[in-house]
Amino acid sequence: MPRTFDRAGALKKLREFYRSHHRPPSFDEIRELFGYRSKNSAFWIVRRLIESGFLRKDPKGKLVLDQLTGVKLLGSVAAGFPNPAEEELVDTLNLDEYLIRHPEQTFLVKVTGDSMIDAGIHEGDLVLVERGRSPKEGDIVIAQVDREWTLKYYQKKAGRPVLVAANVKYPPIVPREELTVGGVVVAVVRKYK
Amino acid sequence: MWPSSASTSDGWPSPLTSLPRAIAHVDCDAFFASVEQALRPELKGLPVVTGKERGIAAAMSYEAKRRGVVRGMRLSDVRRVCPEAVVLPNDYETYGLFSKRLFGILRRYTPDIEEYSIDEAFVDLTGTRRTHQASYEDIALRMKAAVESELGITVSVGLSLTRSLAKICSKERKPAGFVCVKGYELKAYLAHVPADRVCGLGPNSVALLAKYGVRTVLDYASRPEEWVRRLLGKTGVELWWELRGRAVYAVETALKAPASVSKTKTFTPPSGDREFVRAQLLRNVESACIKLRRHGLALKAIGVHLTTDEFRTSGLSAELSRATSSTIRAVEAASELFVRVYDPARRYRRTGVVLSELEPDSAGQADLFEDAVRLAKLRGVSAVVDEVNRLYGKHALHLAATDGLRSYAQHLGERGDHARRKIDLLRGETHRQRLGLPVWEVRLTR
Repeated sequence: MPRTFDRAGALKKLREFYRSHHRPPSFDEIRELFGYRSKNSAFWIVRRLIESGFLRKDPKGKLVLDQLTGVKLLGSVAAGFPNPAEEELVDTLNLDEYLIRHPEQTFLVKVTGDSMIDAGIHEGDLVLVERGRSPKEGDIVIAQVDREWTLKYYQKKAGRPVLVAANVKYPPIVPREELTVGGVVVAVVRKYK
Repeated sequence: MWPSSASTSDGWPSPLTSLPRAIAHVDCDAFFASVEQALRPELKGLPVVTGKERGIAAAMSYEAKRRGVVRGMRLSDVRRVCPEAVVLPNDYETYGLFSKRLFGILRRYTPDIEEYSIDEAFVDLTGTRRTHQASYEDIALRMKAAVESELGITVSVGLSLTRSLAKICSKERKPAGFVCVKGYELKAYLAHVPADRVCGLGPNSVALLAKYGVRTVLDYASRPEEWVRRLLGKTGVELWWELRGRAVYAVETALKAPASVSKTKTFTPPSGDREFVRAQLLRNVESACIKLRRHGLALKAIGVHLTTDEFRTSGLSAELSRATSSTIRAVEAASELFVRVYDPARRYRRTGVVLSELEPDSAGQADLFEDAVRLAKLRGVSAVVDEVNRLYGKHALHLAATDGLRSYAQHLGERGDHARRKIDLLRGETHRQRLGLPVWEVRLTR
């Protein structure tokens, strides 16, 4: 069987050696550490670790374990200060979680028109819409009025729903026949780059 | 099994039994077509057919079904029986998103969900009445309403004592139907259900049963157990119990490791170019092996099949001496089979591969006749290929034999339509990475 190189395992062994001896192992000790019969195998291990940048030789040919001596390797940050914020990172939201409350019912809608411009919703923006949710007064909704779809504030006048634009150019819409609220807008996304 | 008091001495549920177990089957109506209609309101009420890129109807809305469009129909025939049909390419990416959401919604009601197919689930509601403060029927109806209002597609739901019964019920009143059959209604209900509606009784079994005068499910379930065993064996008996209201098949919530991995692809126009057809086949092998490795599996058997432009399929399969997950090994085997299946006198439109007898992929013990060094090298190659493709996109690094496909659209001409989601990219999306949210294509006016 060809040797397969278990880098993590090799590093662990070397690290343990360093921790108990406070010096890097010799080639013969490496041979023993890995249970090989020939020193050639130890050279092979060392060569692989040098190639992958975990070990280097000093000008005299002695091994230097500059990446092995830390308590734990946490990428390049490990060499720096302990980061108190790291503990807190566990409890952060990513943007998805921040913007989307109900992943099963959230859809993207691309905005056309300028009827919500004063609410900061521009043509070309993406709005995240929750489908199948009944609107509260003041919500921005996607609604179908008299067979046309529109993006407006959902308001009530004398107990009856009215759709109000965020643009003085457009008068409020009082549904004549039918009003179907398709979904409630929960966020706007505008990506510049 | 329920306590013996719930069933009478003849094995049927007692007249007092309602739902000792409550199994629901949730089945989406015309799933692909419904998703298209849910995302494009202007398609509501129109005959919608998907499958444009394959030249075959994959799904059709009920409006199209009513006009005689059936699954698998060639699009030329679709246009003949229903000239006003809106024909769209399949958008598997979006269908997959809807499917995930469907199961997500169902899981709010009970953790015991079996994802039976992309658009079907079995739901075990047994014992959830207390949490929901409602009857099983009401829970099932709430579940149905949630899916319909949040996803904008309709589902049909069947509710009964076992999986087999729930599935019969969900088919009863499609689309958007709800049928619940309780223990005490069971016999009366099954008396009018034809035997071919049972999932598990295929056309052959149904024909055989008819020779004994068994036409309805009640006829079947009323026969003695021994008679069923002699005629249809163990599976027949299991079904027999299921249909009499005693659950044999549990709702399997664990995700099953696939029993086989297959990849089939159609291309148009059909081709008589040997190297091209071979490349198509090997690309399927590449894709199937990628999936295989993602599941941590290795194949022991491989089958290839080719379909001619006259829809005739021929194929061969072979067993490997040793399980492998290497594309190179699979390609060697597939190439050998290809040589024997390929007929230069024919033109082909579809190729496919099936990897089976899967087992966990482990380095394993090399046998005496095996070149152990080569095995280890192949393993290394697979790892590198997967890593490169993870970074640069699927098939960025591929076999030389499939390189010819790079400059070729899978479907030329009018059928070469891609799903809109793949063409109308949002800012920042690429051809291989898009936001994991469906785009609701509402055309805003006013």
